[in-house]
Amino acid sequence: MAEAITNTRGWMRGASAPLRGALLGIVLERPGHGGDLASRLVARLGATWRIDTNDVYRLLDQLVAEDLVTAREEPRRDNARRTRVVYRPTDLTEGAMTAWMETLLPREPVRLGLHAKLAVARDEDAYRLLAALRDYERECLRLAQLVAPSANEMRSWTALVMDCTRDAVWRQLQADVDWATQTRQRINERIRARER
Amino acid sequence: MTPLLSFANVGKCFPDGGREITVLDGVSFEVDAGVFVGLYGPRRSGKSTLLRIAAGIEQPDTGTVRYDGRALQDMTRSQRGRLLRHELAFMASGDWRPHPGESVVDHVAMSLGSEGLTVRDARRRALGSLERVGVTATCADEPAGSLSLAERTLVMLARAIVHEPRVLLVDEPAVMPSLSDRSRFYVLLRELAGERGMALLVVSEEMGALQGSGLMMSISGGEVCTTAEQGIVVPLPRRSARAAERSGS
Repeated sequence: MAEAITNTRGWMRGASAPLRGALLGIVLERPGHGGDLASRLVARLGATWRIDTNDVYRLLDQLVAEDLVTAREEPRRDNARRTRVVYRPTDLTEGAMTAWMETLLPREPVRLGLHAKLAVARDEDAYRLLAALRDYERECLRLAQLVAPSANEMRSWTALVMDCTRDAVWRQLQADVDWATQTRQRINERIRARER
Repeated sequence: MTPLLSFANVGKCFPDGGREITVLDGVSFEVDAGVFVGLYGPRRSGKSTLLRIAAGIEQPDTGTVRYDGRALQDMTRSQRGRLLRHELAFMASGDWRPHPGESVVDHVAMSLGSEGLTVRDARRRALGSLERVGVTATCADEPAGSLSLAERTLVMLARAIVHEPRVLLVDEPAVMPSLSDRSRFYVLLRELAGERGMALLVVSEEMGALQGSGLMMSISGGEVCTTAEQGIVVPLPRRSARAAERSGS
């Protein structure tokens, strides 16, 4: 088993690794068809992840190729004459999920387009930067609006971890808004100082 | 449709030594009935001033604040006071001032003093309001001064909603030390606003306190940024004929 997991480590690499890992967790919880898995994944991670359903099918195909998930056509519950592909865990899924939980994934690079603009901005770009920072601030607020509010009770483990996930998004967006507003203030102060 | 509450180009300055600090600079936004508006801002960013101006407690230096189409500046002090007692409710975590020995239920009932109710009726309404926010009848007879921070916040909410306002203004709900208490309070705020069709304007230095808001705003340097505004669209530069030729299009 351990060797099999080592052999499947490829799925843990690359930018989509977190989504593949989260999908494993979703399939382990309950098998389902692609659309069901995609909507459960969106509910768990939140709208700010901007998950595309087509991407979910692509990731599921990769997990099937790694033998971490099986895909089999099964009759639909509402219409037995029609079928759809249901994804189920394999003998390797549980171990792969544990290995993913235990693996220290590299931190995503902090790579914001606005950082690059700021890094090389010319003096005459000050007003353009102010506009870009304001747009970025507004975008952060729009994303914050997309985060589903917390439920009343946090008794279950699922409710707790989902709330912690939401909290992470709030705090990250809050930090981004703080950075954008402070940067605008600093640029404004410089513009005013030059005008005096 | 006339918005319930509107700010048009509102400005406010405060003296700071020999200088003047601009706290609000050309602030404009609207709050419709039944809508939850959240304003995020760090400490000393002007969000509490904005809320006090919305409540008619403070006056702006420039611009106009309207409630249901009427400019607050055109109202007399007593008209604004009446508005604050009946139509608007203002709740600030720092405004906890019960009289010595006053019970929780009496603290809430006191705010109904101007409604011409008997003491019994006022207490009955206060109990109903306390029950709705989750304060039990046994706790209602406790001295208000003995409450924990979380209980105090709930009692302040009960006091704010007891006269069934159309707009609830909340200054910093994120004061409770326990995260789960805070979470429950945010849910309660949203539920109350939903079931009463009440507009909600909440200001906080924690974005999480504004979860579920239909309009999100932030404030810094006196300026408000709102999700209601459209972003500035900067047109892409036209491709030169030579570049188009190179790419073969």
